[in-house]
Amino acid sequence: MYTPYLFQFAQVHEEFRIPELLSIAELHSFTVQIPEDIDVTRPFVVLGLESDDHARLLAKRCILIKSICEFYARGKNYDELHATTRTMPSKWARFVEDASFKMNVTAYNHTIPQTRARDVVEDFSYMGMLGRIDLKNPEVTFVCYEEYVDKHGTTRDKHEGDGEFREVFLGRLIEEGTARPLAKTYDVKKRKYFGNTSMDAEISLLMANQTLASPGKVIYDPFVGTGSMAYTTAHFGAFVFGSDIDGRQMRGKEKVPGIIRAAAHYGVDKRIVDLCTFDVTQNPWRCGEMFDAIITDPPYGVRAGAKRLGRKPRPPGSTPRPAVTPPSQPRPDDQPYIPPTKPYELSALATDLILLARYLLKPNGRLVFFLPTVTDEYEEVDVQTMLCEGMEVVANSLQDFGSWGRRLITIRKTTSEKYEPPSFKPTSTSRESPKDSDAPDHVPAHKDFRMKYFKKFNKDEYDT
Amino acid sequence: MVRLITHNLLACHAKGCTTNNFPLQFKDVSIELREAEFNADFLKGLLPRIEWKALVDAARQLGDTSLPLEQPEMVDDEFLKNLHHVLLEMHIEEGAMVCPNCSHVYAISNGIPNMLLSEHEIA
Repeated sequence: MYTPYLFQFAQVHEEFRIPELLSIAELHSFTVQIPEDIDVTRPFVVLGLESDDHARLLAKRCILIKSICEFYARGKNYDELHATTRTMPSKWARFVEDASFKMNVTAYNHTIPQTRARDVVEDFSYMGMLGRIDLKNPEVTFVCYEEYVDKHGTTRDKHEGDGEFREVFLGRLIEEGTARPLAKTYDVKKRKYFGNTSMDAEISLLMANQTLASPGKVIYDPFVGTGSMAYTTAHFGAFVFGSDIDGRQMRGKEKVPGIIRAAAHYGVDKRIVDLCTFDVTQNPWRCGEMFDAIITDPPYGVRAGAKRLGRKPRPPGSTPRPAVTPPSQPRPDDQPYIPPTKPYELSALATDLILLARYLLKPNGRLVFFLPTVTDEYEEVDVQTMLCEGMEVVANSLQDFGSWGRRLITIRKTTSEKYEPPSFKPTSTSRESPKDSDAPDHVPAHKDFRMKYFKKFNKDEYDT
Repeated sequence: MVRLITHNLLACHAKGCTTNNFPLQFKDVSIELREAEFNADFLKGLLPRIEWKALVDAARQLGDTSLPLEQPEMVDDEFLKNLHHVLLEMHIEEGAMVCPNCSHVYAISNGIPNMLLSEHEIA
């Protein structure tokens, strides 16, 4: 049996809200009832939950939830709101006799003058609360939210348009969102070690929630870089492995590797199991089905380009390269050998990443990663064609930057069959992925993203 | 870092090196013991992936004999405690891991192993 709950979201990352709370609900094995006509762009949403405890679990873990209330009523104006509220005295009957209480009257996109806020509270006198009013530690908090349309960018008086709200909501507060301040705790600016590709803390936390990170789970980041997602997944109790083709990113300049220093500052270093330098396309993992989740932000070529071992092809007509021979003498210790690398094109990387995840994940494990896309060219099918048998998209949320954006893709391994490790051959996409045969000629919009980015997404320039 | 759990999950991956490429042999290693967070679910979850003999051999080579030669069928607290210590609390900070088959030397520096392959070793 679902009862309606009023959710207040932070007004950022709209497309991430529902996937996040569904993930946390899955982590705690309960379900959320989502209306079909939901408008995810609004800060207030009424969803069905089975108990107050579920609401508390969500409010304690979801980064984007500001508060969750037991939902009483909504209305276009106060007359409508009061009319509905009056029909359901049973909702607050158990608090009438002696519970101390208070009522918050707040607005979204507006400041309510104090005098009117007071009137609003007085208007609810028919609820007949007999208990003491306690503003500090009330047993019950009623909340009344007015939602105004965004008047951003217009000049106006402080209280202009007061009362001209879009809708008003009434509820009883269950739990304030307590996970949001984590974005401050993990703020990159205050971190002991970071780089120019470090991921924003709020997004890193959202990604960690998408992996269903929890104590005892094992999570792997194959492009760990400066470790942004390692800290947040470890924060939620998971044990983290990281690897990167460039060891300098993980190490930094001091003796203790940078990732370990930052993790120690956050108190999560005991859960960073190990960091290794290797190319994920030439990886030394001995077996598959090891990880509960793979979380990563693959380099897409703007601030850092993806690399894999090998050499770039020579331009046509140039002299062929001399044959490669193993070094005859061992290298001195102070001169580590740096093998040559070549660029790793994004669409190939994405397809390979999914095949790798299918091999390395336990059944039901999740792959969570960012895919940059060109806004004008993106099609749903771009993501579908990356998939292989046994891997299913759970969520796909866009962070919009205008002409381009990045999509947080969450994929679940739905199969318990065993697969061979991927070959990482440049042609592997058409051979290993059966879904490709349906649309053999589809070129996803994220192909050659780097080139498109630097041509400022001007189609005329790169189509010719 | 380079805990025995990681050592147990890595194999030599040079081109053509597909047999006798595990476990990698420790060479000139320096070890540190550091307390780690105990989590029984984590240990039980990874146990099916562990190559038991390789783990016991590696632990004995580093001077820890708390694990039985045969993997016990009963998982009790005492066993989990020892397993936890061997898998997570012994850190190899410096030294190298050498492939028993192709003799590739994977150097470990500041706890991070360099598992990159040279040009003649990639497929």
